[in-house]
Amino acid sequence: MKSRQDPQLLFLLSINVLVLVAGAVLSRGSFIDPYNLQSMAGQLPELGLLAIGVMLAMSSGNGGIDLSGIALANLAGVASALLVAGLISAEEAPLLFTVAFIGVALTVALVGGIFNGLLIARVGLTPILCTLGTQLLFAGLAVVLSGGASVRVGNAEPLMDIGNGLVLGVPVSFIVFCGVAAVIGAILKFSPFGIRLFLMGTNPKAARYAGFAQTRMLVGTYALSGLVAGVAGVLIASRNVNVKWDYGQSYLLIAILITVMAGVKPEGGYGRMTCLFLSTTALQLLSSMLNFVGLSNFFRDCAWGLLLLMFLAISRYDVVAALRQAWRHFIAPVQPPPAPKSPS
Amino acid sequence: MKVTPISAAVAAAVLAAAVGTLHAQDKQTIATVVKISGIPWFNRMEVGVKEFAAANPTLTATQSGPATADAAQQLKIIDDLVARKVSALAVVPMDPAVIEGVLKRAMDRGIVVVTHEADNQKNTNANIEAFDNAAYGTALNERLAACMGKQGKWTSFVGSLGSRTHLQWVDAGAANAKKYPGMTLVDAKNESFDDANKTYEKAKEVLRKHPDIKGFQSSAGNDVIGIGRAIEEAGLQGKVCLVGTGLPNPSAKLLDSGAITAIGFWDPKDAGLAMNRAAKMLLEKKTLTNGIDLGVKGYEKVTVSKGPGGGLLLVGNAMVIADKSTYKNYLF
Repeated sequence: MKSRQDPQLLFLLSINVLVLVAGAVLSRGSFIDPYNLQSMAGQLPELGLLAIGVMLAMSSGNGGIDLSGIALANLAGVASALLVAGLISAEEAPLLFTVAFIGVALTVALVGGIFNGLLIARVGLTPILCTLGTQLLFAGLAVVLSGGASVRVGNAEPLMDIGNGLVLGVPVSFIVFCGVAAVIGAILKFSPFGIRLFLMGTNPKAARYAGFAQTRMLVGTYALSGLVAGVAGVLIASRNVNVKWDYGQSYLLIAILITVMAGVKPEGGYGRMTCLFLSTTALQLLSSMLNFVGLSNFFRDCAWGLLLLMFLAISRYDVVAALRQAWRHFIAPVQPPPAPKSPS
Repeated sequence: MKVTPISAAVAAAVLAAAVGTLHAQDKQTIATVVKISGIPWFNRMEVGVKEFAAANPTLTATQSGPATADAAQQLKIIDDLVARKVSALAVVPMDPAVIEGVLKRAMDRGIVVVTHEADNQKNTNANIEAFDNAAYGTALNERLAACMGKQGKWTSFVGSLGSRTHLQWVDAGAANAKKYPGMTLVDAKNESFDDANKTYEKAKEVLRKHPDIKGFQSSAGNDVIGIGRAIEEAGLQGKVCLVGTGLPNPSAKLLDSGAITAIGFWDPKDAGLAMNRAAKMLLEKKTLTNGIDLGVKGYEKVTVSKGPGGGLLLVGNAMVIADKSTYKNYLF
């Protein structure tokens, strides 16, 4: 049994702690005051949910990826805002409006995800090309529906509380993200679907010969990815009060960065939700810390890239042992004990 | 083994926080947040912010902005600044609607909010416009019409379909062009996302689709450069008219070659100064009355009226339209 710790998890944990400490020191405490922690916790769910979607797609193997996440989230928000606002008044029936909004948004997102899954599983399109196309399709639909302008989501209290409210000091959106991550993490780790998904991702051919229902599993995976994007769309709508077709265009690559930095194998078959969660928080903390310190936004991209490279190095090479060796060699060489003298 | 370094680090963080909160709050900070960093327009605005900072040593004035033209990234920066509890925010929104939520949180937290190029922004204490946007759009279009001989097809470019002021300019331009029955508007409101390269590609597409097009009215600061380059490459300078917002120095070469007919602008340095001055006045609890002098050229006699939300709308008089012969008077 290796006594060496899990390097990826350790790296992510230490980055989180390091950035928290550095931020606290550099900002003289205001980085870790409750308001900022709540602010950061409220900013990261959108990205985290998109990263979960990408992780699901990647785990299914065969070059799986989902590039259409943010576009689907925006489409879900726009379509829902237009449809529900036209039928129900937000002021008069806030709870009904909220429920209807969430329902329509999740339905639209689920349909989009199933569409992705069918194109990939039935028609046999390569995931990257398929989701690239559906990304443009969803964005285009959102433009046509909204006329290119932003759509105001009605002023319903329960909906606003989802994005901005706090429960025991923790933002509701963060709780939603943790909930979704926990549920999907459990599905992936413990349910037959999850185990088969990783097996299929590792070796699609063997999966086919083992009799896995590949089409159903792929459609299910991409549908789940779409559903998670829908949740992200609801959170965006409730936090920003307005939805627009091109919100968060930079989120696509950031979500992929988060997923890769969580140790998810792009070729499929491996991914841990704990690491994904820590990866999301690490990137958010780093981004906020750089903003606090007042460094240029360009430097943030540089820092993220460096972090990714360090993570990949840690996964590939036994950095801890190398460091230990260097320490022993240069700083504290250990003298071998003198050979025991034989008597007389 | 894993627990000890982490618990030590957490203890260190708590200690640092305890030490940190003992320090008194320093100077007041006015944080300017622009649409996108690194383009000439907002580099010029930064000159104004730095000038303000130098003239006001009792305050800290900074400028930041996202690396890409994405409203979500600007939202993140503002979120973090609100968490950092700056004293005032001076924002040039990429999309006013997207940041309404965070600006409300800022105002609830006691932060003064001043905006620019967002006269539909509800959650702001004061929005500053360099001039009446409809008048500016009309002026640009009049110059375009004069060049086109009031005949022919023309099109318009905007930064994005969410850029409030750009839409006001091209809508006013379109309304003005209706006076001239010989002018036809085709493929209006092409989006450039403040990217000169994307604008160049789009302009080439438009020239291919409408080989007989006679005029372009553009809005974002880099659009004239992209479109001008496309016109020059096609050898159409002098035959196709281009009037849009742009800065004199970057547009100099294309103005001289005739690819750009005229540029309209206001000095972003003065706009930045005006925003920071207004923010400072609001921090000092002064009222902004009609006709007030913000102490900046073009904003000496600002008309103050009620804005869409609870805040004020300040309109200055800083419009400039320059062409080949006059742009050299402005060295930025």
